Amino acid sequence: MTPLMPQGYLCRGFTRNYSEKPGMKPEALKRLLEIANDPYGCLADLRKKKRIIGSTLADCPEELIHAAGLHPFLILGTNTPIRHSSALLPDNSCSLARSNLELVIGHQGAFFDGFVLAQVCDTTQHLCDIWRRKFPDHDFENFLAPRQVARPSARAWYAQECRRLRSALEGYTGREITDEDLCESFRLYNENRSLLRRLYAIKQGAPALMTNREFFDCVKAAFFMDKEEHNRLVREVVDWAERDKDGFIDQAGNFKVIMAGIVVEPPAIYDLIDEVQGNIVADNLCTASRYIYHDVEKGPDPAEALADRHLRKPHFSPINADPERIYTDLLELYRAAGAEAIFYCHIKYCESQDYDLPDIKARMREQGIPFLELETEYQTTRLSQMRTRLQAFCESVIGKGGSM
Amino acid sequence: MNKRPGKTKQQASAQELSRQLTEAYLQDARTAHEQGKYVAYATAVSPVELFVAHDVIPVYPENHAAACLTKRMGTELSLAMEKKGYTSHLCAYARSDLGYRITGRSATGGIPDPAFLLACNAQCFTLTKWFEVLSRKYRAPLFVFDTPQWIRDPGARKEIVKYCVRQLRELVAALEELTGKRYDYDRLAEVMACSRQASLLYRRFLDMAAYKPSPISIFDALIHMAIIVYLRGTPQCVDYYQTLCDEVQAKADQGIGAVKNERFRLYWENLPIWFKFRDHFNLLKAYGANILTSLYVHAWCYEFDTTKDPLETLAENYCAVFSNRTLEERAAMTLDLFQRYSLNGSLMFVNRSCKAVSFAVYALKEIITEKTGTPALIFESDMGDPRFYSETQIRTRIEAFLETLQSREAEKG
Repeated sequence: MTPLMPQGYLCRGFTRNYSEKPGMKPEALKRLLEIANDPYGCLADLRKKKRIIGSTLADCPEELIHAAGLHPFLILGTNTPIRHSSALLPDNSCSLARSNLELVIGHQGAFFDGFVLAQVCDTTQHLCDIWRRKFPDHDFENFLAPRQVARPSARAWYAQECRRLRSALEGYTGREITDEDLCESFRLYNENRSLLRRLYAIKQGAPALMTNREFFDCVKAAFFMDKEEHNRLVREVVDWAERDKDGFIDQAGNFKVIMAGIVVEPPAIYDLIDEVQGNIVADNLCTASRYIYHDVEKGPDPAEALADRHLRKPHFSPINADPERIYTDLLELYRAAGAEAIFYCHIKYCESQDYDLPDIKARMREQGIPFLELETEYQTTRLSQMRTRLQAFCESVIGKGGSM
Repeated sequence: MNKRPGKTKQQASAQELSRQLTEAYLQDARTAHEQGKYVAYATAVSPVELFVAHDVIPVYPENHAAACLTKRMGTELSLAMEKKGYTSHLCAYARSDLGYRITGRSATGGIPDPAFLLACNAQCFTLTKWFEVLSRKYRAPLFVFDTPQWIRDPGARKEIVKYCVRQLRELVAALEELTGKRYDYDRLAEVMACSRQASLLYRRFLDMAAYKPSPISIFDALIHMAIIVYLRGTPQCVDYYQTLCDEVQAKADQGIGAVKNERFRLYWENLPIWFKFRDHFNLLKAYGANILTSLYVHAWCYEFDTTKDPLETLAENYCAVFSNRTLEERAAMTLDLFQRYSLNGSLMFVNRSCKAVSFAVYALKEIITEKTGTPALIFESDMGDPRFYSETQIRTRIEAFLETLQSREAEKG
């Protein structure tokens, strides 16, 4: 399995020393980055401890899987060339879907004991069928997430699907998931989100302390790791960041940027943004804000508590809400954060983004907001063209960053 | 639409009746504003019975797009929307429609603007995103009727129906707010009765493909399905399919086939290639081959149970459309058609602009060929944009496939 970090685009943080000494980055950060960039290599022994349940973006409630005594593991594709999935999905289907299928049927199928796949669009719906057919010996559940959040019926349906999933997981493990189990999982996940939010806030205010790549890799590691272990490592990083942040609040040369989209892949895109000294101060990514914002609040019904959190999450392109939110939410983020540009990561052949983008661009033009679309595929490993575009955009449009 | 043109001309053929009904329907939609009525856009598979019973005129951008694509306007309209930043790999209906919004070019004189939009995602998710674009353009509210996949779990299905009924109540409330008029459930019961009857007649028409020789081809089904799409729930729709069934039954009784000397009875997977379907019919005819059916044309064969709460039977039927079922059930539905219509081969079209239907084609081919032992041809193209249709290549492949069928027939003696 090729590590997910392409050679030649090592983030700036990797060139620094990691140590417990003041001013130096902690070993915990190094470990999180290693896991984020090579989860299957670093976590090969996970299966000895728990059965691993793979899921896909974006709305599967991990807490339920955790409360069942299983290990939820988010599948985030592979950068290796597509060979196996091309016979099963047309070549103009979403790059993330093709890449996820490639990963499980070509490389890591044996890593997983079962799958819970959320359906949020045509691609994910039909992918479920193909996937299930390829893994008849694995436990398999669909999670039929509501594809509208505009009306009260969505809350009831999300809660109902949580109940169905809870019961299916109980059937799989042969043991009851008690409300106490769920409360404990909620506590653990809320703590995780809270730590990551704290780290995000520190990074936003002290851009020289840690790179974009380092922060978003810390979040990414959460998709793969044991949650308690992740909390322990992130807590160490937060403690270090709290302690050292005052020496890194110099904003000179940095500019604030909003990162929009669903995922940012390959992660070396963050390195490019680091190179031009863009400081990501807000986002609406499934692999960042949609994951770390809003906690599960205590209530009499755990399924409804999960539904409430789901409805509070930032806007997600495939899920229908007010159709204007594709740009009103971005404008709100941009203004609230005092940002200078918006970068939009567009996954090639993601239909949902394809329909949104022309209207988003038009509205941003109308409002005079610097906006750059970064189109990527999971199999993209050479980013020289994107680097040039990014540098040119920063130099000419906002007069920042540039060649380094 | 108050008049019943079919009743004024008792002798009108189904084709003539279709023309009259279409004209009257379009006239009704175009003058809706003068009549104090609302026009709402709807996706082809959506519970429009709720509109019809509330005097809201449903208009179908998909039908309009199909008419434009049949007239080979796909490339021209798509190029217009591509200039606005959309990509050429989106649904050809959406490309054609968004191109029409920019250029005003239409094969039928255009369609009126919407006051409301209803997108049901049982067909596909693309429709939701396309309608979101239209909702922003016209500043008209969009209601997404979310139909979770009709998975094979009776308990889950029960809950899906509950969710959908709840949404239909929300839709009724939205319609009351739009029109300022209280919803009339007695009227809905009448509309449901018409819709049920028309759906049954439409199915009877499609099932006449089981006759040998078949009096119809899929091309007849594609032409005649237009009325069930945009007039279901009306008495005119019932009259139309009664007339059509009578005509086709008379042909079947006389042994008249759609193709002379019918030898091969084929299944078509996916939507048609709209700008090519006559050419395909003629090519196949030369080999004595006829494409009889497709799951696509069966999408409007609803089985409404009028003894139930109308919202419940609407929810059950619209969730259960083939495109919202699992791969295994879709295969089972196809195999049922193979058996009932005595099919002996398949043309399986991977439609680059309809991913929802095309994703399953590779797996379906595996299942169908394995279970039936009949040959299948897979080919890729686009349902509406000639830029993505390779004439020579596809023709050669279809001819080679038909020759394979001939050899198999010769081997069997």
